[in-house]
Amino acid sequence: MPDASNPASNSAPNSAPHPETETAPVLALTDLRSGYGAHDVLNGVALEVRAAEIFALMGKNGMGKSTLLKTVLGLVPARAGDVRRAGVSILGATPAALVASGLGYAPQEQPLFVDLSIRDNLRLALRSDRELPGALERVAAHFPFFLDRLGQKAGTLSGGEQKMLILSRALMLRPRLLLIDEISEGLQPTVVARIAAALRAERDENGTAVLLVEQNLDFALSVADRWAVLKLGAIDDEGDNDAQARDRVLAHLKI
Amino acid sequence: MTLALDMITTAAILFIVASGLLAIFGVLKIINFAHGAWLTVGGYCAVVCAQAGITPWLSLPLAFVVGAALGGLTERFIVRPLYDRPLDAILATWGLGIVVGQLITLGFGRDVQFTESLLPGAVSFAGVDYSLYRLFTLAAALVIGGGFALLLDGTRLGLSARAVIMNEHLARALGLDTAKVRAATFMLGAGLAGLAGALLSPLTSVDPTMGVGWLVGAFMLVMAAGSSFAGLAVACLLFGSAQVIVSTFVSPILGGITVAVLSALVLRIRPKGFSNV
Repeated sequence: MPDASNPASNSAPNSAPHPETETAPVLALTDLRSGYGAHDVLNGVALEVRAAEIFALMGKNGMGKSTLLKTVLGLVPARAGDVRRAGVSILGATPAALVASGLGYAPQEQPLFVDLSIRDNLRLALRSDRELPGALERVAAHFPFFLDRLGQKAGTLSGGEQKMLILSRALMLRPRLLLIDEISEGLQPTVVARIAAALRAERDENGTAVLLVEQNLDFALSVADRWAVLKLGAIDDEGDNDAQARDRVLAHLKI
Repeated sequence: MTLALDMITTAAILFIVASGLLAIFGVLKIINFAHGAWLTVGGYCAVVCAQAGITPWLSLPLAFVVGAALGGLTERFIVRPLYDRPLDAILATWGLGIVVGQLITLGFGRDVQFTESLLPGAVSFAGVDYSLYRLFTLAAALVIGGGFALLLDGTRLGLSARAVIMNEHLARALGLDTAKVRAATFMLGAGLAGLAGALLSPLTSVDPTMGVGWLVGAFMLVMAAGSSFAGLAVACLLFGSAQVIVSTFVSPILGGITVAVLSALVLRIRPKGFSNV
């Protein structure tokens, strides 16, 4: 029974963002530094991802793209700088807290529990099995073929199916921000097109923001609203996805 | 027939002792060398119950709860701070085992103590009279093994534990609270060590070093089992049977080291042990 004296109680949950954070970018990195051992991989990264935007982060191997995603998710500790989600610093937050607050992650290395079923891989994205039917229905809108094969082991799927499962799992909790690490690597054009369609639909229908780490320039620019190139742990160039984008990115990716 | 029953019940006892150690090894990737100490604590829970005149049946849940509580404290204050230094964590559990042994000696003295059997007497089984209590340990092992199977395959905690066993990095990246999974597993493993101590007390005797011998055997069995409870069951059946045969027909002293020697041999030939059975 809603309390009539309190107008806030009538508003639906999740529909009213905090007034102070409404205009803040979904993700903002300032002078971010992190790395492994004595070595810094990120040397002061600054970038912003806004709501309902696909932001493509490109760069050659070893430039720090994956480390950047892991630092945002708290898997690698930041050494300096700040990471803000909707205006609030999330430095030091655990991956569990960040995932619960609306971060979805599609990792590149060892991304699936290959000995577990499709169903169990998807269940592990949720905190309660009660959410399973609804979440399954949601991701099946993009990739319906899972529904008849929920008992199949993830390791027996084809390469393209595995990538679709990784993306589906990241979408299970209806994230506000998706972190995607080189999902198009080694995929056939038909599968890349399905993944691109799913990302566009999440952006356009749910306002999901996507930070897309990619080496596949054609795929990245086919979905991105803005882009940046990471070089030696810092942003080398960035811009809108306009007529010059392709040439500018290519100039940075050349040896 | 008696020999066959001895073989099966010995395997059951080994399984009871080693299952908690395997649970911790699977999830935390460390060997908890305080396992023997928690087992001894469980044995003394049975002694305390006997001295206080409480029914010995109560000593089983009591030993589990005491073991789990001590395990929770150990995980929080000794193992967790050494998360990034697994070798140091293993050494720390070894040291803790020594400390606990000394504290028990201080509290109860060095004397060997005996407890009443929960189920005295023998039953007629397949033409022979056999100790009812040893048959009870077989049932207990089946309950523990079945419990683990249900827990791992039928609950979210089990699914989370399997995820941590298979790929802890990925489990963390998906937002699983891996610290909670580790703590829960450590408490469960230590609780099972305590339960094993209380279960064993009527079969052996209780003294401050009772856990040490069991620890060595359980450690070798866990190494041979890989990270699988089915593997542990196979290892216990094979090596437990071998122990009974060697003890009966060769010498009880050689029988005592059979499990350790056979485990070492199996690992030399098959480094993954029985993990794929």
